[in-house]
Amino acid sequence: MFRAQSILTSFAAAALIVLVGLPVLFILLQAVFPEFARGSYAGAFSKLVILTENDRLMMQARNTLLLAFSVMIGCLIFGLPIGILRGLFHVPGARVWDVVFLIPFLIPPFIAAIAWMMTLQPRGYLFQLAGFDLGRFLFSFTGVAFVMTLNLFPLVYFAVSRALEMVGGRFAAAARVHGARPLQAFFLITLPLSIPAIAASLLIVFAMSIEEFGTPAALAARTGFEVLVTGIYTRLSDWPIDLSGAALGSVMLMAMVVAAFALQNWIATRRSYISQTGKPADLEKADLGPWHWPVLGLFALVALIGVVIPLVAIAVTSVMGTISGGLTWSNFDLRHYEPIFRSGSRAWQALMTSGWLAVLTAFATAAIGGLVAYIVVRGTGRGRAVMDGLSVLPNAIPAIVLAVGIILFWNSPYQPISLYGTAAILLIAYIGILLPYPIRYAVARLRQISGSLDDAARVAGADQMQALRHVTLPLMAPSLIAAMMLVFAIASRELVASIMLAPAGIRTVGTFVFSQFEQGSVQTGMAMSMVAITITSGILLAVNLWLARQGSSAFSG
Amino acid sequence: MLRTTAFAATLGLMGSIAHADTLTFYTAGPGGLADALAEAFKAETGITVNVFQGTTGQVMARLEAEEANPQADVVVSASWGSAVDMHERGLLMDYLSPNAAEVPDFLKHSHYAAQGISALAMVWNSQSGVPRPAEWSDLTDEVYRDLITMPDPAQSGAAFDLVAGLEAALGDGAWELLGNLADNGMIVPGPNAAALNPVLQGAAAVVFGAVDYISYGQAASGETIEVIVPASGTVIAPRPMMILQSTANPDAAKAFVDFVLSDAGQELVAATWMMPARADIEGLRPGINDLKVIEVDEDAVAARRDEIIARFNETVINR
Repeated sequence: MFRAQSILTSFAAAALIVLVGLPVLFILLQAVFPEFARGSYAGAFSKLVILTENDRLMMQARNTLLLAFSVMIGCLIFGLPIGILRGLFHVPGARVWDVVFLIPFLIPPFIAAIAWMMTLQPRGYLFQLAGFDLGRFLFSFTGVAFVMTLNLFPLVYFAVSRALEMVGGRFAAAARVHGARPLQAFFLITLPLSIPAIAASLLIVFAMSIEEFGTPAALAARTGFEVLVTGIYTRLSDWPIDLSGAALGSVMLMAMVVAAFALQNWIATRRSYISQTGKPADLEKADLGPWHWPVLGLFALVALIGVVIPLVAIAVTSVMGTISGGLTWSNFDLRHYEPIFRSGSRAWQALMTSGWLAVLTAFATAAIGGLVAYIVVRGTGRGRAVMDGLSVLPNAIPAIVLAVGIILFWNSPYQPISLYGTAAILLIAYIGILLPYPIRYAVARLRQISGSLDDAARVAGADQMQALRHVTLPLMAPSLIAAMMLVFAIASRELVASIMLAPAGIRTVGTFVFSQFEQGSVQTGMAMSMVAITITSGILLAVNLWLARQGSSAFSG
Repeated sequence: MLRTTAFAATLGLMGSIAHADTLTFYTAGPGGLADALAEAFKAETGITVNVFQGTTGQVMARLEAEEANPQADVVVSASWGSAVDMHERGLLMDYLSPNAAEVPDFLKHSHYAAQGISALAMVWNSQSGVPRPAEWSDLTDEVYRDLITMPDPAQSGAAFDLVAGLEAALGDGAWELLGNLADNGMIVPGPNAAALNPVLQGAAAVVFGAVDYISYGQAASGETIEVIVPASGTVIAPRPMMILQSTANPDAAKAFVDFVLSDAGQELVAATWMMPARADIEGLRPGINDLKVIEVDEDAVAARRDEIIARFNETVINR
């Protein structure tokens, strides 16, 4: 049985190394040796002068950081007030708002950006309805930050409201008992104790805006400002290509993300914020009283901007006969949906390809992620220490960087079996990109499951594998299923790695939509997006309902 | 369990892709044409054609990235210069299809031949409220301020040919014209569709240097746009089709090239509103003899590609 564990550990370590470690190593080698992709180690470090001489790369790095900071501030503006209200007060329809603010995660950022473009640009929908446009605002730095904020502010909303629910109830009550006025209790107790959670969510926002491709790709050309991600993409997808520049940009991007995660980790573990005992607090939320309607108005406003406008713009565009026909009833036409549902059409194939890729990715990431988490939390000895270090790796790798690494690694002259040029390469990329979610979910869940349950099983005569199968795995299942849903939702619309890696003959929803906007019809692109958004939300909703029904039995044991 | 399933599926997939009777075809847009050609070819020969469709920039970038491990068999680019360049680097197979006999001499070579031809034009939204332009230089007029878009020559092979062609016809006057257009608020939002979309919705009024066939198609589907070819002349962008020297499947590749230049293949090309490469096949729109064509020395231009793009970026984009 000890052997079984070491085999599992070796397998998980090998998976992480092949999926993520080696691609990253190849990026580092390419950054150092410009001729590396051709099999030569000549001219080591000669390309590093790009860093000082080529100010395009440095400008992209500056833009990236500036954008990420702006998005953080934007997410505070959009997410913090409603998060605080949701956490401390009885907001009417609280559960409904929670579902509404999940929707931005389901709209691919690239599509949302195009939807805003169609809405705000001169003669866009806003102009057609209201007689004015906000084109100057949208096609500016602020505009890009605005659109990215709308994709990410729910992270802050959920983190803040959860944290305040934990802290706000018992600790604020204790402060009130000791004579603090409500506002005093909020500023002296509740807010300081919630800061780690808020900071952690902001750092995730920071990391996600650094690696976001869709929004800058859609808007950056019009605003004339480039970030590292679009810079790397251009270096690899426009002829003549620049592998070394792309590798150097990737290294810079990785450094930024690693710094963000290190900082987040430091904040989260620096002190014990004893509020998170895991015990559900007896929540005594305050009533809003006369503020009932204004608060509801604020939630509705945020939902209107963050959810309703982009969704409606996508839906409306997909049913327009011609774009120049504008918003008139006579221009209503469903013909752009027709090819998507014609079995065997390219759109249909893209839908199918993304579907099975997302399903396989969900299962594979859950299996590998669950295993990694088990070893990190329950493992012993050196295997555990090694795995602890390796498990952080996927977190630090933005999707575009992994795609660059995968091209360098799987298409290198040293590679005996090349999966490059087959659909398997997409699966490998998706697994590497999405592995962090199941690892994070499963580690968190395992830490909550007391080891004594394992011990009890062992005392009762089960060996380690039996205890894992009959005790720990069933207890982990809900969190793994939740992670698989998230992985499915993201994988089914993955964009940047798909564009860079999809071999000839393979189309995914992401590449299909992207190429519709680049060379085809906007309406077909939007129709496909509508179908994909509907399917993923439908599946997520169904699994959620199913889990809720199972929930009682899964947790009561 | 789950792992084995995923792995088995992966292996199965690899098997199906690496099948012998397949051909890999990298092509510049339009996507619909590549798919239609692939389907018709499969119906005729049973050979599956896997299509990668992108902009000329993306196609060439992929070819370069895969140099050590080439994937493509047949390539169509939207820029004649790229074929010249690849031939010089010895990457192309020596093959001229017998079906190319009706292709005019200047559109074929021992190693490549045109698949179809597009011309560069202005595309004007007739509902835009600005007057119909007739000449390239009309767009420097104040009435078109902030209403002009242009495809990015770095991404669109055809737009690159236009810049090179205007330079050939006007010399430094071409750069002056582009500079004046930039002064007039011309934006360069990306490849062809990215330049056309703002004009469809009315955010802009005119595309400077749009690939004509896309717009003929859009106009036919009801968009209120008109394709205008300036009387002073324009550039045509023949789309070279070539077989890579590295192909593992030369017979299938030759058969595919023959098919594209056959009557059936050329009809499919014509259906996308392009000019067919073969002079004896009727197009749906004005043909090559109806246009005043600016001659471009492709060899010289291909060698200066980086320089021209850099100068364009300096003059228009990063000014």
